[in-house]
Amino acid sequence: MGEEGKKSRPAPDPNSAKFKLGRIAAKAYTDAAEAKARGEMVGWCASNFPVEIPETLGLYVCYPENQAAGIAARGGGERMCSISEGEGYSNDICAYARISLAYMKAKEAPEQDMPLPDFVLCCNNICNCMIKWYENIAKELDIPMILIDIPFNPDYEVSDAQVEYIKAQFWDAIHQLEDYTGKKWSEERFREVMETSGRSSRAWIDATSQAKHIPSPFNGFDLLNHMAVMVTARGKEEAAEAMETLLKEYRENHEKGISTFRAEEKYRIMFEGIACWPWLRVTSQGLKSRGINMVTTIYADAFGYIYEDFDGMCRAYADVPNAMNLEHARDKRIRLCRDNHVEGILVHTNRSCKLWSGFMPEMSRQIGEACGIPVASFDGDQADPRNFSEAQYDTRVQGLMEIMEGNKGGAE
Amino acid sequence: MGRNELLAQLHEAAASPKRQLERYLAEGRKAVAVAPAYTPQEIVHSMGLVPMGVWGADMEISEAKKYYPAFICSIMQTILELGIRGEYKGVSAIIIPSLCDSLKTLGQNWKYAVKDIPFIPMTYPQNRKPDYGVKFTMAGYERVIRDLEAATGARFSKAALKESNRIYNEHNAVMRAFAEIAAEADITAAQRSDVFKSAWFMLPEEHTAVVRELNEELKRGPRAKGDRKVLVTGILADSPNLLRAFDENGIRIAADDVAHESRQYRTDVPNLDDPLEALARKFSAMDNCSLLYDRDKKRIDYIVEQARQHGAKGVIVLMTKFCDPEEFDYVPIKRACDAAGLISLNVEVDRQMVNYEQANTMLQALKEML
Ligand code: SF4
Ligand code: SF4
Repeated sequence: MGEEGKKSRPAPDPNSAKFKLGRIAAKAYTDAAEAKARGEMVGWCASNFPVEIPETLGLYVCYPENQAAGIAARGGGERMCSISEGEGYSNDICAYARISLAYMKAKEAPEQDMPLPDFVLCCNNICNCMIKWYENIAKELDIPMILIDIPFNPDYEVSDAQVEYIKAQFWDAIHQLEDYTGKKWSEERFREVMETSGRSSRAWIDATSQAKHIPSPFNGFDLLNHMAVMVTARGKEEAAEAMETLLKEYRENHEKGISTFRAEEKYRIMFEGIACWPWLRVTSQGLKSRGINMVTTIYADAFGYIYEDFDGMCRAYADVPNAMNLEHARDKRIRLCRDNHVEGILVHTNRSCKLWSGFMPEMSRQIGEACGIPVASFDGDQADPRNFSEAQYDTRVQGLMEIMEGNKGGAE
Repeated sequence: MGRNELLAQLHEAAASPKRQLERYLAEGRKAVAVAPAYTPQEIVHSMGLVPMGVWGADMEISEAKKYYPAFICSIMQTILELGIRGEYKGVSAIIIPSLCDSLKTLGQNWKYAVKDIPFIPMTYPQNRKPDYGVKFTMAGYERVIRDLEAATGARFSKAALKESNRIYNEHNAVMRAFAEIAAEADITAAQRSDVFKSAWFMLPEEHTAVVRELNEELKRGPRAKGDRKVLVTGILADSPNLLRAFDENGIRIAADDVAHESRQYRTDVPNLDDPLEALARKFSAMDNCSLLYDRDKKRIDYIVEQARQHGAKGVIVLMTKFCDPEEFDYVPIKRACDAAGLISLNVEVDRQMVNYEQANTMLQALKEML
């Protein structure tokens, strides 16, 4: 996914988590490109589609959201958005979708190429926008679309009816893919993938929870980069291993009293929302220069794909952040704020994401009240650089900092 | 009653939903608000409750801003606004489906913004065709029934649902017939809209009776003049200013693919032993809508075919601002129209937009082309 700046630094240590994670993310693209060149089928896959399915079947997939984030982080967001707007797509549509639809047409982007798909795997547990976006791709390229529909859950717990519905779709999807690609589902392989995915998830959750230490052994912006691997590769052995390395490093950092947050950690916040990829450096710098460390985000909790069996997997996929009701989503964040000693919340009101932003004002109010901490928000967009104002960001962050400062004074 | 009286009656219901609500409440009935685009109104009706459609209103937004960022469609914004301002006082609950991302958030905001009207979620499957999808729809209905019983004290019975299914099918047939008759009859766009809009604020059996009579009157009455015929598609087409622009430019609506209008009436409840399963099978049979998963984009072909069948030379896309499901469909609609030799026009509509200068200018230009 996006890289935070491209400063010339000494060559990274190949045994470091950062190096390993970066390599895995890059390898996903080269593997897919090579597979395509060999004549194998390649799919495009929604970020929260159960990766266990393509992984168990041995299918190569690429992740358009990941690609869009990469393109946006490297400065291509506006160019790509303009291409799809030229086709008639409204600039109100999620910028990831606009970039992806543009890529389908342009078939190349110097920032991040990816082979065109032979099928698409869609899952709407993050949004229904996904369905429309993939419909248009499938129709235009005349390729199969597999939709696993995981409806927004209005209740706190996932119901049995929902699990049953999802499970039936999983099998349907598996059988359709078997027919179309000729690959076969293997229970044994599934068990391996499930275990590996569980290992990656446990290490990720453990690593991100190291922010419980004061100061935090890491800069939360790291998570925005590393989570790409959780999204795309958590079922792969290398991913589990890299996540375990990350955990080890964060533990060691804590023991040595160092951190990847390279400033004095004066304030600790939770960042809410997707990163502003086109403005990653600016948003990160705006915090760092004030000694504000983003110690946690919902992503720290989002990839808890730890389950025991097929039913458990179905349930886990229904229990992801954008599919859960306000109360459940709120409580998860309250726990993150408490566990990680968060002093303020910075909300990215993301023009691209209606679902994420649509009840965020109320939810963040409730979190702020429950934790007794201030909430500030800024307008932005995860991939369209036009929807962000540096000046507004700066003012809002400054305001948040002043309240946090005041709170510290009050506590003394 | 004559044509004009019937139209006046429907206009009154369309223009004053609040009066309709008060009338039903005064009759000792309970009412339940139903949000766009689809809800199991048959169930509400079968329990002796009055389903009242809520699609927002043309108004400024103030209170809802506390909950919604500006980039959520004005239908959601104004439903919430009206709820906060107490305009729905008297209804016993609101049913909100989660068919688009913005609808998902309406229910969540509602719980805190309008605490005195309980929120009842209706969760539909997108994979609605296979048996497992039908089963999931039924689970959604059962949940709505439980919540309705708790909110209103009314009881559910399958026998009553069977009858309500029949009443709704009858209404569907009358509305479909109206759409066809209106395509040829001398009726204004505003009057046509009243007929569809009033359906949301009247009991279906009452509405059926009036529209049936109207259909007969219209069939007997004069034919429409002019052949500037279009198909109108979108979520909503009820703005008086916009409709006036149609009438003033002599542009006739020959058919519609509007969610608030004809999309509601295309599919009947099949006749099965179990009326709840039958209702679920109705949902599974529904198609040609931006809110329903459509891998083949059949809706696009449907629009072109309907335009042809009705002799429409153009397709007017009434684009509700910030409605992403419709925005995604616009590109294939435009391409399909181009390929079929149909003129297409994208007119942005917004519940706050009182000035329709722009729409009027566009329709004027279209008039020249037709
Ligand atoms: S940013 Fe939001 S709307 Fe866009 S793909 Fe992600 S979840 Fe969906
Ligand atoms: S379908 Fe469109 S108009 Fe309707 S609620 Fe969703 S975004 Fe708004």
